[in-house]
Order: sequence, then structure tokens, then C-alpha cells
Amino acid sequence: MKISIQGLTKMYGDFKAVDGLTLDIESGELVGLLGPSGCGKSTTLFMLSGLTDPTEGTILFGDTDVTRIPPEDREIGLVFQNYALYPHMSVLDNIMFPLINRKVPKKVAKERAEAMAEIVHLEGLLARKPKALSGGQQQRVAIARALVKEPQVLLLDEPLSNLDAKLRVETREEIRRIQQEVKITTIFVTHDQEEAMSISDRIAVMDAGVLQQFEKPQDMYLNPVNTFVANFLGTPQINMFDGEVTDEGVFLGGNLLRARADFADKSTFIPNGTYKMGIRPEHFELCDEGVPAEADRVLMTGRELQVFFQLGETPFRLLTHSDQRLSQGSQFDLRVRRAQLMIFGEDNLTLAKV
Amino acid sequence: MKDYSSPAYTIRRKLRPYKGFLYLLPSIIILCVFTIYPLIKTFVMSFMEDYNLVNDTYTAINLENYKELFSDATFLAALKNTGIYVIFVVPISVILSLIIAVFINDVVRGKAIFQTLYFLPYVTSVIAIGLVWRWMFNSNYGLINSILNLFGIDSIGWLNETKYAMPALIIFSVWKSLAFNILIFLSGLQTIPQDIYRAARVDSTPKMRVFFRLTVPQMKPIIVYAFMMGFISAFKVYNEVYSLFGGTRAGPANSAITVVYYIYAKFYNSYRYGIAAAAAVVLFVIIFVFTMIERYVTRDRDKVKSK
Amino acid sequence: MTMTKSTQKTHSQHIKMKPSAIVTKVIEYVVLILGAAMTLLPFLYMILSSLKTYQELNAIPPVFFPSIPQWSNYVEAWNSAPFARYLLNTIIVAVCTTIGVLITSTLSAFAFSRLNFPGKNLVFSIFMATLMIPGEMLIITNYQTVSNLGWIDSYASMIVPYISSVFYIYLLSQFFEQVPNELYLAAKVDKCSDFKFMTKIMVPMNKSCLASIAILNFISSWNAFLWPLLVTNDPNMRVLSIGLVRFQTESGADYQLTMAASCMLVMPVVILFLVLRKYVLEGVAFSGVKG
Repeated sequence: MKISIQGLTKMYGDFKAVDGLTLDIESGELVGLLGPSGCGKSTTLFMLSGLTDPTEGTILFGDTDVTRIPPEDREIGLVFQNYALYPHMSVLDNIMFPLINRKVPKKVAKERAEAMAEIVHLEGLLARKPKALSGGQQQRVAIARALVKEPQVLLLDEPLSNLDAKLRVETREEIRRIQQEVKITTIFVTHDQEEAMSISDRIAVMDAGVLQQFEKPQDMYLNPVNTFVANFLGTPQINMFDGEVTDEGVFLGGNLLRARADFADKSTFIPNGTYKMGIRPEHFELCDEGVPAEADRVLMTGRELQVFFQLGETPFRLLTHSDQRLSQGSQFDLRVRRAQLMIFGEDNLTLAKV
Repeated sequence: MKDYSSPAYTIRRKLRPYKGFLYLLPSIIILCVFTIYPLIKTFVMSFMEDYNLVNDTYTAINLENYKELFSDATFLAALKNTGIYVIFVVPISVILSLIIAVFINDVVRGKAIFQTLYFLPYVTSVIAIGLVWRWMFNSNYGLINSILNLFGIDSIGWLNETKYAMPALIIFSVWKSLAFNILIFLSGLQTIPQDIYRAARVDSTPKMRVFFRLTVPQMKPIIVYAFMMGFISAFKVYNEVYSLFGGTRAGPANSAITVVYYIYAKFYNSYRYGIAAAAAVVLFVIIFVFTMIERYVTRDRDKVKSK
Repeated sequence: MTMTKSTQKTHSQHIKMKPSAIVTKVIEYVVLILGAAMTLLPFLYMILSSLKTYQELNAIPPVFFPSIPQWSNYVEAWNSAPFARYLLNTIIVAVCTTIGVLITSTLSAFAFSRLNFPGKNLVFSIFMATLMIPGEMLIITNYQTVSNLGWIDSYASMIVPYISSVFYIYLLSQFFEQVPNELYLAAKVDKCSDFKFMTKIMVPMNKSCLASIAILNFISSWNAFLWPLLVTNDPNMRVLSIGLVRFQTESGADYQLTMAASCMLVMPVVILFLVLRKYVLEGVAFSGVKG
């Protein structure tokens, strides 16, 4: 089911929770709605579900305008952050509940619920009460309950944030697997960028009610449209600083980071001046001859080494392989990988990557 | 799929917000007929001279009922008795039950048993147990006098001497009212964070000091609540008087008459409906004032709660 | 609100107690046991008196224990007034009001805690405000209403005015509020109607609160006195409490029979309370904690 959102706006009094959101989601796609808390992502999800009425705009499921259709008639499955399982019912009864409400005969409902339980790997737990399940299992019950009525769209609100770190990774892959298996158009809300990037086909990043960028995870990570997206994606965070562009190239505190002659795209023209710039920590390279720096602090994280240093007055952080022998006070030279120096212009929009 | 633009659907959608009233309807009807209407009617009735309940007639609208009420020695005695009752029953009950609750909370063994035993009077019919107390107070055969005699005290005519009628009523009422107070104090005590007690122990604070400096301040809202509920229920006392003194009178020479007893007598025995209504309004005003005081004193707690 | 479970673990068990602490504990137990004895005394006295002979009960000085328990007092009391009829009336009234209260409280609490409708806060405030109206002041007009309806000497007069209770509505809506709203939203998406959500989800999830309400209401209906006294004249319509005081006036001197009858009124509720202790205590404690 294709979803088309057009000019969706939600006002709470004078507060614009969602501001003119327009988004087209392909059939069978898994889309992550990503943003900090209060950015309007959950409001968007609830408008898609019909539980919240939009102030303006339309929502199309396929060719049908569902904007005014109540949630129970929208053919959606909805999964909540706290799972919202009915505590007094067994797992099987929980999964059967939507079917019984739709007057599906009990026997058929039971068969379908059992089949669904198999897909989410819950067989053998059907007689239990939700309380007797782990967080991950409870989440799978919630997903099974959402999917059993064979909805057109699956909506998940922060589905992983109540799980501990290890379960979170497992469950998110589980969600991806189930989604692929039933091939359902899925939208999920999260504030965790890593989670969003790891399983989404495309990510929609929102801030202050406004859609910032809608893109495949890799493209978005490499080509953020503005400083917000650049900042929001990636751990450790991108290094942001104010740099100078002169006739010769890009400078920071007297260090030449990139000569104009070395711009990845020779046709890029950037007028001289001060710009906001960004370099991701993994886009620094150690080299024999480049910008000299001294390690203030070195963090060993196993796979890689985090090195803290300063250029000019600005603190930076770089990531390198853990086989590099660097420690506090080590001197080293570095350069920025080709085409990975981001330059931002007016309204914090990305001007170029050089 | 349904037709979401049809007029029928639109009407249903428009009406949907009012569905809540449908759920409330039974309660609203009962409340209007048996609480709100009689409240208003009682107010109105209290200004009607010579109101007749059967024909719904009256001779004039004025303050005669109130004038008569406040010049009626019996009503003033009812107010005075209620005052005495409040001054004795409520503080004695609150203090005793606070001590008992703290002790129950402190002991390790038998907590549940004590809690259950002390609560028994609450579920017991006042009428039935009042008849027992009546016999216990009996001046000739009663248990209480024979215990007093053991200590060399002469028998007291609890229920047939005017000066002992109120003390008898007070003893019975304290016994009856402890149960509720102990229970709410106990549940209040369990909401106090235990860490402050652990901290006090580490600082080797004496028990009395812990009680007065930690427990009592933490329990203040519940103590205030117990006081106010005590006041309010004291003004509504009726069953206790009825069963202790046998229903035909409120103690010797009406010496233990209460406001509700007065209302009932004026209304049911002497058919003075206007006077009864005026007394009911006075009762309402008194209880209203105490409720307001309770709200005012505990308002901080509610503010904290709603955050 | 589990009252019986001790929430504070007593770490002192492993630590040697100081002598002063032992003295404190002894004092606490002595006070508690004495207090409990005083609390139980009227009950004990009632039972003992109900088993005495007329002579034993009227002996000077009083005898505390009956020499031979006179169980026949119960038979005699039971037969000297239509107590079976009183019992039946009491049960009919208590059961009907309790069912009524459960239904109206569930409906109203659900409306207040889950449904949105214009004027909800105002209606709720009015409901809550009625809590400060003493029922005793309303008896005059309610008597008039009930007699105009022709309900004097009928079950309706004792049942209908009591089938809705604002206090229980408040109590139940507090419990309903605690059910996460996501359950309601999830059910909505799952095509579950409001009414079905209430009966299938809210009610089973709040069973113990409803049990508290049922038992508390049953007890207060069982013990009700002033109102049934007003609206019943026909001896056949008397409830137990009325029957008891009438019996006491009529049987007068035979106080051992009055005590036996009192036992019959008190004991069922005491037993009910002991069996369903948890629900009674939780329900009543709630009013104290929430104020």
C-alpha cells in the first residue's frame, strides 16, 4: 500500500506540532520517522493511525483519502512503545482480540492467530500472560496483534525504547525480518538514529514539526541537507566548526584543510568567507604529512580508537583503527578524506562537500 | 468500505462526542433526583412557614423557621452536644489511633492480625453493637460498672442520668471511630519513604523524636483529613444515639440529642418540616465549612500530587 | 496499597537489639494487645450474653461466662420475630444496590476517565461537590419524593436512591485512570467499541477495585438504618437492623434474646469481612490516602 501525505499540519492551540508535512512512501517500504523528542514524529504517526485528527492536509492510503476515516476502519496495525498488551488476557487471546472484534469466527481467528504467532516466533508461549514474558517477547506479541488482521499499513511508535541494549538490536532485526516476510508498508517512530539507519529503507528526519530530509540511510548520512541532519545522524557526532574559505582553499586556525585545487568536484565554486563546516570523526585520515595535531586524550573502544585533539581553538574528535599506536600527547598528522569536508551556507543548508 | 461522506455518518460523527453523557445518564438521574433536587428543595423549604409535606403548601416565605430554630433550646442543646462530642471524640480518637497505627506499623509479628482486629468495629452495625454497649452501660447489670466497682468506684447511671449521657455516647463513639482512623493512618505510614527512617537510625535519633519530627509532619495531611472526617461525621451522628438510648428519646431528658436526631424528630415525629429543613441547612453549612477548611489545609498536597 | 505486606524489611533481625529497644517492643505489644482486647470486648460480651439465661444476664454482680451456653436463645429469637423475612429483605436490598452501584460506577468512571465530551470537567466537579452534602439533610425531601412515587414500603425505596454513589465513581475512575491510555488506543485501532473496551478490558483489569466497591457497598447497605426506618412501616418490609430495634422494644426484658438477634445481624458481616479482608481494607484505605 502506497502512502501519500500532503501538507499535513497539526496545531495544538498556537503550537505547530507538525508543519506542512509532505511525504510519499512506496508500497512495502520500511520508513523510519526520526527526530528528537517533541519534533512531531509521534503526532505524525498518530495522524496516520487516525487517533489524532490533523488540522490541515490529507493522507492517502493507495488512492483512498483516509484523512476523515476513523482508526478502526483504516486497516492499520499499531504498536505502542509500552506494547499496550491486555494484561489479563493470554498471549493467544491478545493476538485474537482484533479478529474477534471483526466478528471472525473463533476457530478461524485461533488458526490465524497461531499462524501469526509462528511468524513472530512466539509458538509455545501462547497460553502465558504478558507479565510472564520478556520485553522482547511482549513486543513481538504486540506486533503479532497488530499484524494478525492483515492490515495495509503497520505503524510502530518507539517500538524498541523500552528494551535493554542487547534486546534492542535483536528485536530491531526481528522487526525487519517480519516486515520483509509479510511485505507490509511500515512506518516506525524513533529518536535513535542508529536504530533508524540500521533497518529503514528510507528515513524521514523531522525537527520542530518540519520534515528536514527524506532519504535512504546511507545517502542521508553521507549527504545531509543541513546542519541539523548532519548533527543528528552519526555517533560519535560530527565535528562542527567555523572555517575560512580563501582563494587558496579551506582553512581552520591557519591550517589548510583542503586546497581549492583538491576539491573533489573542480566546478564547485564557493565565495571567500567564514562558513559553518563539518567533518565526521571517521573521515579524518592519519598521514605522514598533513595538518599537525596532538592527542589530548585517547579512548580505546575495541574496534576503533577515538582521539580527541584541537585545531586552532576548536576541539575535534577522530576515529581510527585500534591498531594505531596513539596515546595522550602523541603527535600526528592528519587530513580530511576526499569529498568529506562539508560546508554549510545560509539557513544552515549544505553548500558543498569538498 | 463505508461511505464516509453520507449524512448518516456525519450525524453519527457529530454526536459521538456526547456519548459520554449516555454512560453518565444513570448516575446523573439518581444524583439529580436524590441529591441535587432535595438539596435545593430543602433550602427552599427552610424558608417556608408552616410547610406541609403532603399537600406541598405553605403560608409564607420568611425567616420564621430559622428564628424558631435558634430560639429552640433543644436545637441549641443539639448544637452544644455536638460541640462537646467533637471536642472529645475527635482528638481522643485521632491521638489513640495514631499511636496504635504507629505501634502496629512498628511491630514485626501480628501486623495483619492487629490490623484486622482493630478494624472490626468499622464493619459492624452501629445499631446492633450499640445495643451491646447499652447493656454494658447498664447501671445494675452492666460490665462497665462492675469493673468500676472492682476498683472501688460506685456504679454510675450512664444512661439514665443526664450528666453521664454524653460521656457514654463519647466512649461508644471513640470505640467505633478508631477503626477508620487506624486504617488510614496505617496506609499513610506505609507511603512514607523508609529511607528517612533509616537515615534517622543511622543518626541514632531517639524514637520519640522520630515520631514527632518525622512521622507526624509526614502524616500531617492525613491527620488533618482524619480530624475533618471526624468533625463531619460527628455532626451526622444519629445511629449511635438511637441504639444507645433506645430510640424513643435521645438520652434522659434529650441530654444527648444531636443535630440529625433533631432533624429526624422534627420531621418524622412532630411534622415540623420547615424547622427540620432549616436545621438540615444549618447542618449543611457546618459541614461545608469543615470541608472547605480541609481543602484549604491540604491544598499544597494536592498541588504536589497533580504535578 | 497492600496493607498486610510489610514494605520495610527489618534489618534489625540480624543485629543484636539494645535493651531499650526490647523494652519499647514489649510496651508496644502490651498496648496493642490491651487495645485489641478493648476493641473485641463488646463482640465477646455480645456473644457471651446471647448464650446466657435470663437469670445469668440479670445477676448482681454480673456473671461474665454463661454456665451452660444457651444455644436455644438463638432459636427462640429467630422464632419470636420474622427474622427470616428480615434477612431476605436485607439481602435483596443489599444485593440489588450493590449490583446497581457496580453498574453505574463502572459506566460513570469509564466516561470520566476515558471518554471526551463537552463539559466533562464541569460535570465531574458537580459530581465531586455532591460529596460534601450530608445525606442526612436530604431525608425530608427524599421521603417526599419516594412517597409521591408510591414507594413507601417497597424495595424500590430502599434500593433506587442508593444505586449510584459518587464516592465509588471517584474511587473507580482513579483506578481506570491508571490503565495506560495506549490500551484504549490500541483497542480502538483493533475495532473495539467503547462499551466493549469497558466490559472486556477495563472491568477485568480492575477486578479487585470492583470487588472492594461491592463488598463495601454490601456492608453499608446491610448496616443501613435511618433511611429504611423512614420508608418502611409494614413489618414485612423491615430489614434486619430495623427488625432488631423493633424486636428489642418488643421483647424488652429478655435481653439475652436481643443479644442473640444482634449476633445474627453482626456476625454475617464480620465473617464476610474476615474472608474478604484485603478488599475491604484496600477500599477504605484508599479514601484516606487520596483524601
